[in-house]
Amino acid sequence: MQSIQNRLSIGLIFSLIIAFSALWLLVSINIRYVAEEYISSRLVHDAETLLSNIDFDQDSNLVIDQSRVDLVYQQPFSGHYYVIKTDKQSIRSRSLWDYELKQVAGNTQDQQTTILPGPEKQTLLVISRSYIKQGHTLTVSIAEDLNPIDKNIVLLQYWFAALAFGMLLILIVVQAIILRRSISPISRVHTELKSLEQGRLDKLSTDSPTELRPLINEVNHLLTVTGQRLRRSRDALSDLAHAIKKPLTVIQQQTSNSNLADETKNTMIRQTDEIYQLTDRILKRARLAGHSHSGALFSFAEDLPALITTLQMMHPEKSIQLITDIPENIHCTVDREDMLELLGNILDNAYKWAQQRIILSASNIDDSLHLCIEDDGPGADQENISALTQRGIRLDEKVAGHGFGLAIAADMVNDYGGTINFHRSEKLGGFRAEIILKYAYTEQ
Amino acid sequence: MRLLLAEDDHELVSTLRKDLQGAGYAVDIADNGIDAEYLGNENIYDIAVLDLGLPERNGIEILRNWRSKGNPLPVIVLTARNAWHERVDGFKAGADDYLGKPFHVEELLARITALLHRSSQQPGGKLSVGGLSLDEAQQKVTTEDGHSHALTGIEFRLLRYFLLNPGKVLSKSQLTEHVYDFDSDKDSNVIEVYIRRLRQLLGKDCIETRRGQGYVFRDEA
Repeated sequence: MQSIQNRLSIGLIFSLIIAFSALWLLVSINIRYVAEEYISSRLVHDAETLLSNIDFDQDSNLVIDQSRVDLVYQQPFSGHYYVIKTDKQSIRSRSLWDYELKQVAGNTQDQQTTILPGPEKQTLLVISRSYIKQGHTLTVSIAEDLNPIDKNIVLLQYWFAALAFGMLLILIVVQAIILRRSISPISRVHTELKSLEQGRLDKLSTDSPTELRPLINEVNHLLTVTGQRLRRSRDALSDLAHAIKKPLTVIQQQTSNSNLADETKNTMIRQTDEIYQLTDRILKRARLAGHSHSGALFSFAEDLPALITTLQMMHPEKSIQLITDIPENIHCTVDREDMLELLGNILDNAYKWAQQRIILSASNIDDSLHLCIEDDGPGADQENISALTQRGIRLDEKVAGHGFGLAIAADMVNDYGGTINFHRSEKLGGFRAEIILKYAYTEQ
Repeated sequence: MRLLLAEDDHELVSTLRKDLQGAGYAVDIADNGIDAEYLGNENIYDIAVLDLGLPERNGIEILRNWRSKGNPLPVIVLTARNAWHERVDGFKAGADDYLGKPFHVEELLARITALLHRSSQQPGGKLSVGGLSLDEAQQKVTTEDGHSHALTGIEFRLLRYFLLNPGKVLSKSQLTEHVYDFDSDKDSNVIEVYIRRLRQLLGKDCIETRRGQGYVFRDEA
């Protein structure tokens, strides 16, 4: 769909062009009409003056008192002409010189206005009318060159067009500014939605025009509802985990203390282990916030040191140096609980295997978060690596939960539409996990 | 070593208690949060195993309250809620170790031993002081000359307490408190009998009597 701004702009430009063209046409026609009206009324006056200077001698010959005729009729091709016709005679004004003005049909009592070509490419407005003077019928045609007026009219048209075009531009600019002003809340909502998606905001600002407020309120309401739902389902899942694990623990303790045959004992313990691991994995997966918004985001500055302390306390038998390579201004919009689960599982695995050193590096590349965790432990073979993320597979049964944590981490990364890869570390020689998390979720 | 087990599941408690007592701990039980917090502040415990999902007051709150009062009691958190953020929150509240349910008793015992060693600044592995080394799993002591002796329950408890607090003056009542739980018959004179027995095994000089104060385990050979 086209943007509102474009649609409004195009509509406005079209209607303005139509309006200005119509105005231009109207003004041009009117100006010409008015000019012709004015000229013809002057010509009628001139004709009447001419008529008063006409006399007939005894032989019924027409005589004009030239001294009383306007000088413009004397100058050749001055643009002002007359032709007087009687039955016997046809008298031209001196200004016509030898040009034969095509006479309009005479003998008409009514005034006739025509436009005829004149000498020197002039365009003449000709007024013809028949009069009866001293018993003689005569037709007076009086003409004026329209070219100077036409020139003025064209000039006026140009000016008008230029002015209209200027106004059009100004109007378009002004309306664009007005539009941008009135659309700015929409653009703000747009950028806010983006930050919302990236987790930099947890709510849209309600300071907006009344037209948008219902929409914003609805979005905020939905956010609150999903947030609450996430919290509720997380609590419920936590309770469920609790409820399942307590009896499992009892079963396990009772079994190992019972007088059952060793085989039965081992089977029972293995089965309860299985139930526990599967429940744990499914529940952890279900707990993921993913790209919905629960509020708290992971902070490398605050949560990572706490996680590292936790890991060090959980592995007190090892003195491992964890080196972090994380830019200070790193931007992370992953849910805190999800990120702790992800890093916790992978770092825990690294702690189990590492001899002395673990390197954790993180960086922002484009719109995603890159994480890399490597250790100096024995690493894993290529075939085991591909099996690692499969459901419930354990690389080494002796180290509890190995592989299982990585499977949970892989689940989480998949849920975020990211990628997780395991390799051999080039720097440290051990295991290396590489994770890319995208912030804005894109359907794949 | 006296241990506070704060756990509300009675069946789990009954098996755990047996295992813990078997491993040489004097065990007291608290089955709700308020009792657990109160007992933890009594200053008679060497370690606490704290379930986070206790009724009446949850484990995290209990931990915070202990730590805010400056109570340094080593605490192993035991919980079915073993998401990583819960672990981090647990450690932030002041837990020293963490064990997710379900767990193997052996792992719990190993973690308790490790934490006790850590909190009395002993290196990991076997507990050894001044040529003596104590095998906590087998409940045997090996003397400087290489002889090893099996220990009875109370002897083991007493010796372990001495070894974890070498060079410190320990009063008779203090020893009683850390060797017996609430349910045992306490007779502080019995302690003297056990000390005499330990001296027979390990040599006269290893435990010194400070008249009117108590006993000191000599930490130099």
